[in-house]
Formats: sequence, C-alpha cells, structure tokens
Amino acid sequence: MSQLLDLWSIVAVSAGVFFFLAGTVGLLRFPDTLTRLHALTKADNLGLGLVVLGLLPRVSSPLAGLKLVCVWLLVLLAGAIASQLIARTAHRSGPKA
Amino acid sequence: MSSVVSAALVRSAIFLMFWVALIGFSFSALLVGCVAAGSATWVSLRLLPPTPQRVRLGALVLLLPRFLWQSLLAGWDVARRAFDPRLPLRPGFVAFRSAHAPGHLRNTFATISSLMPGTLPCGEDGNDIIFHCLDVGQPILEQLAAEEKALAHVLDEGTGDG
Repeated sequence: MSQLLDLWSIVAVSAGVFFFLAGTVGLLRFPDTLTRLHALTKADNLGLGLVVLGLLPRVSSPLAGLKLVCVWLLVLLAGAIASQLIARTAHRSGPKA
Repeated sequence: MSSVVSAALVRSAIFLMFWVALIGFSFSALLVGCVAAGSATWVSLRLLPPTPQRVRLGALVLLLPRFLWQSLLAGWDVARRAFDPRLPLRPGFVAFRSAHAPGHLRNTFATISSLMPGTLPCGEDGNDIIFHCLDVGQPILEQLAAEEKALAHVLDEGTGDG
C-alpha cells in the first residue's frame, strides 16, 4: 500500500513538473501577451494541482492536507482573476508583443 | 435576522476556518485571524453584497469532475502546442453571446471559462463576452455554450434566500 502511494506521489508530482515546464516553454515561445497568459494560467494551475495531489498522501495531519488544497484553490482563484485583468488591459491597449 | 447580518456571520465563519486551515490552530494566531477574518468579511460585503442567489451544492459537486477534466484538457492543450516545433497556434478573438445579464453569474462563468481549454475572457461588448482563443479553428462557441449550460444548474439566480 505504501509503495502504491509512493508511486502515486512520484507520478503525480512528475506530471505536475511537466506541466510547469510546459507553461514556461509556452511563456517563452508563444508570440504575444494574450497567448502567453493562456500558457501560464492553464498549464501552471494544472501543474500545481498535480503536485498537491501527489503530496496529499504524504502529509502528517489532515490539517496539513487541507492547507495544501487551500493553497491550490487560492492560486486557482488568483490566477483566474489576475489573468482576466491582464487580458482586459492587453486587449484594450491593442496587440503588442 | 437580516440578510446582511446572516451573510456576515456565514462569511466570517468561512474566512476564519480558512485562516485556521492555512495558519494552524493556536490562541495567538487566532487573535490575528479574527482581525483578518473580520476585515475580509467587511471587504467582501462591500465588494459582493449578499444577493438572493443560491448555490446548489449538489450540482456544484456534480460539476467538479467536469471542471477538473476540463482543467486537465486545458493544460494538455497548452503543453501540446508549446512543445510542438511548429507551434500550432491560430490565435484570435471570438464574441460569445452570454445568456446571462452582466453581473455575478456572468462573471463566475467568465472566471471558470478562463480555466477551460483555449479560451480567455478579455472584455465585454454589450451582451457579448469577448474571448481570446489559442485556436479559432476549434468549436469554441459550442464549447462555451455547453459550459454555460452546465453552470446554470449550479447557480440559481433570483430564487432562494441566499
């Protein structure tokens, strides 16, 4: 059982790291502000979520697990709102690289 | 009890629970937490006054797997395009005629859709929400309409007691 949980942690955290990398590659390769926002918000939210899911079986107490989930939710909410605000500003000020 | 008072009580309790989850439980931390939760409640009542809108918790739980699946697709979509040497992007703008009036429900929809594959709300034009899309060749309008319909079951506007 504990080996299965270890395997889950390794797979989920590695997948999370993959999506963080994808978000960063997107940030560097995508052509303008708006497409880069897509890369950052979507890939990084998923990456963080997978890292949190991978770490959940390893927490010392349920409260620590709740804390991890809360951090994910806060980042999700902050990312969704900040990306909309940046997108609105970028859209208003016209297409720029 | 007036709706503002009950909303304030519920919200401050939620903020305080959030504080305890993040900081941990101790007397000194709880003192600071009470001040923080009180301030957060005051700001939330000013920015988001209680409305007669009801969230159906059962429907919300049903929506969760769909939301998580869409997040996974969104992340995968970005990763696929970012790692592809040809960088397959067809970015552009799409106007989506929202079924909801401007306000809380529409904002919730826009916020959720910003986490969906390939769409990013970047403004409004009358009844339309303007979305920036990574690939305008995708069936974006159909996808957004389906999301909006799924969300409409969760948020019930104008009925209930908040």
